Amino acid sequence: MSHTLHRRGTPKDLKNDYVLFAMSAKGINEAGSHAKLQRFLEIIREFGPVNIGDMKTGNSFAVPAEEIVANTKDTSIVHGVFDSREKLLQALKAVKDADLGISVIISGLMDDVHDCCRKAGVERHTCETSLGIWGQTERLPDEDILKFSTMCGHGMVPFSLVKKIIEDVRAGRRTIAEGAAELAKPCQCGVFNPSRAAALLNEIMCLWGIRID
Amino acid sequence: MKIDAQKCAGCGRCRAYCTMGAIGFVRTGDGRVYAAVDQDECVDCGVCFRAKVCPHDALYEPAPEWPRSVRGTFSNPLIEHKETRVPGRGTEEMKTNDVTGRFKLGEAGMAIEMGRPGTGARFTDIEKMTMAIAALGGITFEPKNPLTSLMADKATGRMNPEVLGEKVLSAIIEMTVPVERVPEIIARVRETASQLGTVCSFDLTSKVYPDGSIPAFDLAAKAGVQPTANGKTNVGLGRPLFVEEVKA
Repeated sequence: MSHTLHRRGTPKDLKNDYVLFAMSAKGINEAGSHAKLQRFLEIIREFGPVNIGDMKTGNSFAVPAEEIVANTKDTSIVHGVFDSREKLLQALKAVKDADLGISVIISGLMDDVHDCCRKAGVERHTCETSLGIWGQTERLPDEDILKFSTMCGHGMVPFSLVKKIIEDVRAGRRTIAEGAAELAKPCQCGVFNPSRAAALLNEIMCLWGIRID
Repeated sequence: MKIDAQKCAGCGRCRAYCTMGAIGFVRTGDGRVYAAVDQDECVDCGVCFRAKVCPHDALYEPAPEWPRSVRGTFSNPLIEHKETRVPGRGTEEMKTNDVTGRFKLGEAGMAIEMGRPGTGARFTDIEKMTMAIAALGGITFEPKNPLTSLMADKATGRMNPEVLGEKVLSAIIEMTVPVERVPEIIARVRETASQLGTVCSFDLTSKVYPDGSIPAFDLAAKAGVQPTANGKTNVGLGRPLFVEEVKA
């Protein structure tokens, strides 16, 4: 499924939001791929992802990273989230050099990703874009809330949780970092970007005139 | 999902973790308050349960019987679909296209994820969309998609009537069409989406052509739908690489 697509935001606030992930193809290069997926995670961890995860085990805010790496299965989809294009580029270069033979996908600003591909010496094979949200959009909350919740494409970060965390931070019950970490926990795959969430929380507090030390 | 009324202390900590806003409160005659889940709205996603916020372990997940069982399989990504062996609601789609060759030059993958983001979808709404698209003719819904397996008639998009009363967090309608049909599908989705009781997220997939162009995206823009600046890119590192015969 398109679990990393449809992330809402302006190009400016998506500048620090890239998901690099990998999987094998069922019935083609699946057998024994768990070791390659494990190696993929080991490689990308060297470049400082702000979250990693695998649906089979969980994300790095819920489970120790070592456990996520150790538990990879042939049917795993393994993810790392980067909060800078430079980190993404370095991780992509290392993954390419490792020549693991599993499918590698990047979610993020497409022009930036294209540029990273050129610099890393890889060719774009297939692209997928969002055509937006249709239907009864009046049922949706403000765009500010959607920016958080759509970072989990499986919908595991409820609108109500985002609102609660914003209120908790505003009231001083949680720090911004604690709030961002709490929002990252329900996203089992580990594709939620807590670094971007913290930036968004900070922006909201600034708009409300609340100074966070 | 259910809440044991005897164990629940009515603290409400679980409430924010409900994706559907289905947790409310009940006050008994003697003034005791406890939380309860609206079973018709709950999609059995399991988020409240996994959050482990209940101090009294009052939340529990009964094993659902058919057809309620579709709620969990489409809403809880930890449940792997028997049809696809992919956790989640869709298929490998473009993620492994470098190896599978599912989407070829001249083709476009189109998917409508009903109920996303965060709104949920009833199968009555899902059926409205599948039947509207099928009525265009010549549409083949992705056979590996778990939603397709719930169709009673894949040619018309009619769903199994047994599931029509169910609600899921989201379900994906997937198809591959000749690229020139992109504007036609967009027009039909636009028309049908206006009649839904929910939202849907719409996406478009294409192979990158040898000259670096992506004609399907240009066709969407010409149809009045500008692709977003962010998206997904398969970088072609899978092996064995699917080799496509390009017609002269």
